[in-house]
Amino acid sequence: MSHESHAMIELDHVSKAFGGRPALHPLTLTIPEGRIFGLLGPNGAGKTTLLKIIMGLQRPDAGRVVLFGELAPGDPRATRRIGYMPQQLALYEELNARENVRFFGRLYGMRGDALHARTEEVLERVALSHEADRPVRDLSGGMQHRVMLATALVHRPSLLILDEPTTGVDPSLRLRFWEWFEVLSEEGASILVTTHHIAEAVHCQEVIFLRDGSLLERDAPQALIERYGVADLEAAFVQATRAREDQVELDP
Amino acid sequence: MSAIPWIAQRIILGFLRDPRTLALFFLVPMVVMSLVYVSLSHDETARVAVLARGAARLFVGDLEDALAREDDVTLAFLSAIPDEERDGPTLERMIREELRLGHVDGVLYFPEQLIADRFSGKPGQLLLFLEGSRPTVTATVASAVASAADDLASALPVVIDAQCSAACANSVNVKPLDIDKRYLYGSEDLRQIDFFLPVLLPFFVFFLTFLLANVTFQRERVRGTLERLLIAPVRLAEVILGYVCGFILFALVQAAIVLAFLLALLGFPVTALQVGSLVLVTLLMVVIALLLGLLVSFAARNEFQAIQFVPLVILPQVFFGDLIWSIDALPPALRWIAYLMPLTHANIATRNVLLKGQSLWESWPYLLVLVGMGLLAMLLLSVVGRRRAGGG
Repeated sequence: MSHESHAMIELDHVSKAFGGRPALHPLTLTIPEGRIFGLLGPNGAGKTTLLKIIMGLQRPDAGRVVLFGELAPGDPRATRRIGYMPQQLALYEELNARENVRFFGRLYGMRGDALHARTEEVLERVALSHEADRPVRDLSGGMQHRVMLATALVHRPSLLILDEPTTGVDPSLRLRFWEWFEVLSEEGASILVTTHHIAEAVHCQEVIFLRDGSLLERDAPQALIERYGVADLEAAFVQATRAREDQVELDP
Repeated sequence: MSAIPWIAQRIILGFLRDPRTLALFFLVPMVVMSLVYVSLSHDETARVAVLARGAARLFVGDLEDALAREDDVTLAFLSAIPDEERDGPTLERMIREELRLGHVDGVLYFPEQLIADRFSGKPGQLLLFLEGSRPTVTATVASAVASAADDLASALPVVIDAQCSAACANSVNVKPLDIDKRYLYGSEDLRQIDFFLPVLLPFFVFFLTFLLANVTFQRERVRGTLERLLIAPVRLAEVILGYVCGFILFALVQAAIVLAFLLALLGFPVTALQVGSLVLVTLLMVVIALLLGLLVSFAARNEFQAIQFVPLVILPQVFFGDLIWSIDALPPALRWIAYLMPLTHANIATRNVLLKGQSLWESWPYLLVLVGMGLLAMLLLSVVGRRRAGGG
């Protein structure tokens, strides 16, 4: 897929404050189709707020959001095409993995054989076929995270929004998660992923650095590492933050 | 070092920083105590009218005075019944109509025949017509009338036989009057418990469904699945109706259990039609309780607040819902509160069906109000729900 493709998400001067405290400074950003796009920053940088605005769960105080070139956030035609994996374990713990996946598939209008086949396919993909009949509450934390991914994938979304998918996941599974994301991306899905494990975002094709609700940088991970002449992305982030602080001091 | 002060401090800070929870914490007992005070401060009084024909009218004043001296009884006057001779059946029909309309709880009829009976040495008989569906009121009327009849007996003229000694004359004097009780609903056998039991059905169904809906939905919110439902191309109305359908099955099973207990405990027979009517009322209550539960769940910000809403919703139903204390026992200025409670309408309909033997259709105004309340809750829910979903 070409990287010179259409805009998946367009943000035009989008801002949001909570109780007078800005969570997002006016942000203008275009996220192209068909990539793994990383939203990086420490906790409280405004990543989740941005995701919620994109999904229509929160209304921005100002600015405009356009999805898939023409749709507003919350429009059913847009939400149908989005798969969301929230940060917290949002599953029905008394149901088993398969039942959870089927339930979310049904919410997106899937029925019958198509749903059945797709459920088995996504369970297989996250390597849970053998554990699919156990209630979610009895699964390990890592398995529960995999069920979350399966429920986000079941309706074949063209845009996957993953909020801290690897938080609380052990290192080997974290690596597998990134492998799955890469496969999904190769299959044509666009992925918007947030993480505060900044170093692991080298798997993204493009990232932005977000800090205190402001955009610091935007580029390919390798380009950023080279620009700041550091060893990894995390160090690049620290440098970018310092540069911004210096700029603020010089130009108050 | 003891950790006690630090744990205590943590709790205190937690409370102070959640003003809404704190407000509810203090507000709930105040509201509940006010409710208890208001609902119990007004004694339930029974309204009794006295009717007499012919010469018996001479004694109406005495009877009314005697009744007025009784506690918990107020005198009523039946303007709808003309003050002229009617044949017995017509008069009885008129009296029953007044009872049915709820204008009075009891009508004491003093027939002219009584005086003649007294003169011929018989005890004589007063007729007492009773509404009969509320055992406490029935008992109040009956005991007040019995006491007034004793007073009357001593006031009535007696014929003293020429051979009778002074002692003999006294014995005629104290001969009590017979009171023939005629019930519009129920009978002398209707127990207080028979009055109370039927309304436990709507109450339990309402209470438990409300509680369960509130907690279930709260859990949906806390664990984040609600957010996922709202992101999916699913309308809020679908979520709500899904809840209703899912809950109704269990609520019906619960209703069946409560109903089976009721039927076993009630002191009178119940027909299949009556059972069917109760099921219908129960269904309405399930839906209303469910919608209210969801509404409260939406309005609350955390589980703590959601739990505190429970007494705030349930206790007014208990005190004002025609459950233990009747609406008539409330101060007249506050009776409108009773009609705001869904339980009031369900209870009236249930008693109409079971105790008055009416068809459910005759309680249509109450059912209509229940349906209206359901629709209102649905409307509020869609407003609150949309705002909450959008506001995060």
